[in-house]
Amino acid sequence: MNKSYLWLILFSLTLLSPFAGTASLDFGTIFETNSLSQRIFLELRLPRILLAFVVGGTLGLAGLLFQTLFRNSLMTPFTLGVSGGAVLGAGLAIKLGLTFIFGLSAVSLFGFFGAFSTVLLLIVLSRYLKKAEQESLLLLGIALSFFYTSALMVIFYLSSFTETATIMRFTMGSLSVVGYESVLTISFFSAILLALLYFKRFELQLLSISDEQASLKGINTKQLTYLFLGVSSLAIGVLVSLTGPIGFIGLIIPHMVRKVYQKPVSSLIFPVFFVGGFFLLACDTLTRFISVGSEIPIGVITALIGGPFFIYLIISKQK
Amino acid sequence: MKVSNLKVSYDETTVLENINFNVEKHLCILGSNGSGKSTLAKALCGLLPYQGSIQIQGYELSSLPPLQRAKKIAYIPSKMESFEQFTTVEEFVLLGRYPHKASFKNYSLEDKNIVKEVLTELSLSELSPLRLHALSSGQQQLVLIAQALAQKSSILIFDEPTSNLDPKNTALFVKELQKLRTTFTTILITHDIQLAAFFDDPVIFIQDKKAELFETDFFQTEHLSKAYGINFKNENGLLGVAYE
Repeated sequence: MNKSYLWLILFSLTLLSPFAGTASLDFGTIFETNSLSQRIFLELRLPRILLAFVVGGTLGLAGLLFQTLFRNSLMTPFTLGVSGGAVLGAGLAIKLGLTFIFGLSAVSLFGFFGAFSTVLLLIVLSRYLKKAEQESLLLLGIALSFFYTSALMVIFYLSSFTETATIMRFTMGSLSVVGYESVLTISFFSAILLALLYFKRFELQLLSISDEQASLKGINTKQLTYLFLGVSSLAIGVLVSLTGPIGFIGLIIPHMVRKVYQKPVSSLIFPVFFVGGFFLLACDTLTRFISVGSEIPIGVITALIGGPFFIYLIISKQK
Repeated sequence: MKVSNLKVSYDETTVLENINFNVEKHLCILGSNGSGKSTLAKALCGLLPYQGSIQIQGYELSSLPPLQRAKKIAYIPSKMESFEQFTTVEEFVLLGRYPHKASFKNYSLEDKNIVKEVLTELSLSELSPLRLHALSSGQQQLVLIAQALAQKSSILIFDEPTSNLDPKNTALFVKELQKLRTTFTTILITHDIQLAAFFDDPVIFIQDKKAELFETDFFQTEHLSKAYGINFKNENGLLGVAYE
């Protein structure tokens, strides 16, 4: 696959994006002040496009970071149980009937703490692992995910029908949004992550070889790894608490960009962010085009497209 | 490099203790598998915490900031590892310039020129656009050396450099090493007695957590046999294990 094809496909779907959705948009009246079309465009479609883009970009970046840091292509915040933690936190808030804490959405707050505490737990547990045992960390993440799923089942078991439906809705992930609050919140943390990775790209490149090599070149690896994990889990925690878990992006986008660009991690930061952003936007556009009545959850689409594409990437021989 | 009363421990288990030596120009570290050769090498690079003292050009190793340390010591591992398949030789060697790079900035033109010089010096210029995984183990070993040279450190530590090389590549490596020895201080860790005997440097032999220094004459069959506890022979100047 070549770079220009990749961008062409992603761009054309982006151009179509504002017009996809249950309410149809009339291009003629979009620039008329206070017209219905303009309100749909500014209050529903545009924030959603921006949200999809920034969420996709952030998920891709976090995936790239985790894969590089742990030198394992299966390591993403999601495979390590971070999203599981967020879902459990959100589920708990819904079951407890909490709506707002200090003016913030309780579901988001609990979701955030679920994700963030999972990362902290993984950092603490990983200190008991030897350097070479990165695979054990993945197993820890998988074990945590199973634990969270079972704990969520217990919550389901104890919940009423309405509560169950609300929790289910959250676990499916969604980009439905009105206004710009979520977009701005996620963008803020995403920008910090993007800047950190960009300014520390050569350090990241050395870490991709080994912690030892990075130390030998004069990097304080422990400090830097904690900084990377801290900032990325903050971004992921905030993101998951607002949109619910959206899988597959963090896993496939770094892979796809690596295969297409064939460059080391220091040159992949922006490509991963943009491809991740456009990819989720494209998936979201598709979701809105094919949805009849109620919307198909975005996570379903990313996995349906991502899965087969990922298999193709793995088995297709590249030069 | 001056080492005195060095003690290195992993999780409260002492691996090496009471180590004393002084490297004027070159040093060879020998010992059986698991005796602690690599541990000593890592401690000398500043990768492990230690008790006692390791002085480099008058500075205590543990008190040197990491970047300064990297400008003084480079370590060449026995094998190339990389999670990323798409790094080219040139990009990989450029990483050796990291300690000299201004923070938050890209590698400078000077860095890139140094990389070019080093690659030319090691006759690797033709390989520079190739990706690491396309190289043979012999070429990879040379690329690792190139990265260390680009680092411009005065001490080079080689950790079993010939363990993955065939005789031809070993010969090539030795030829390069001979050239490097004229400008750098080298510390060679190896199992290859023939290679060590060829250079005939002072030897640190590690056994039972202790290290013994042999300034000269280590490569005589009786010394070797006593140190390793097996028989060595020397036939027509060719040193080797006397297999039974």
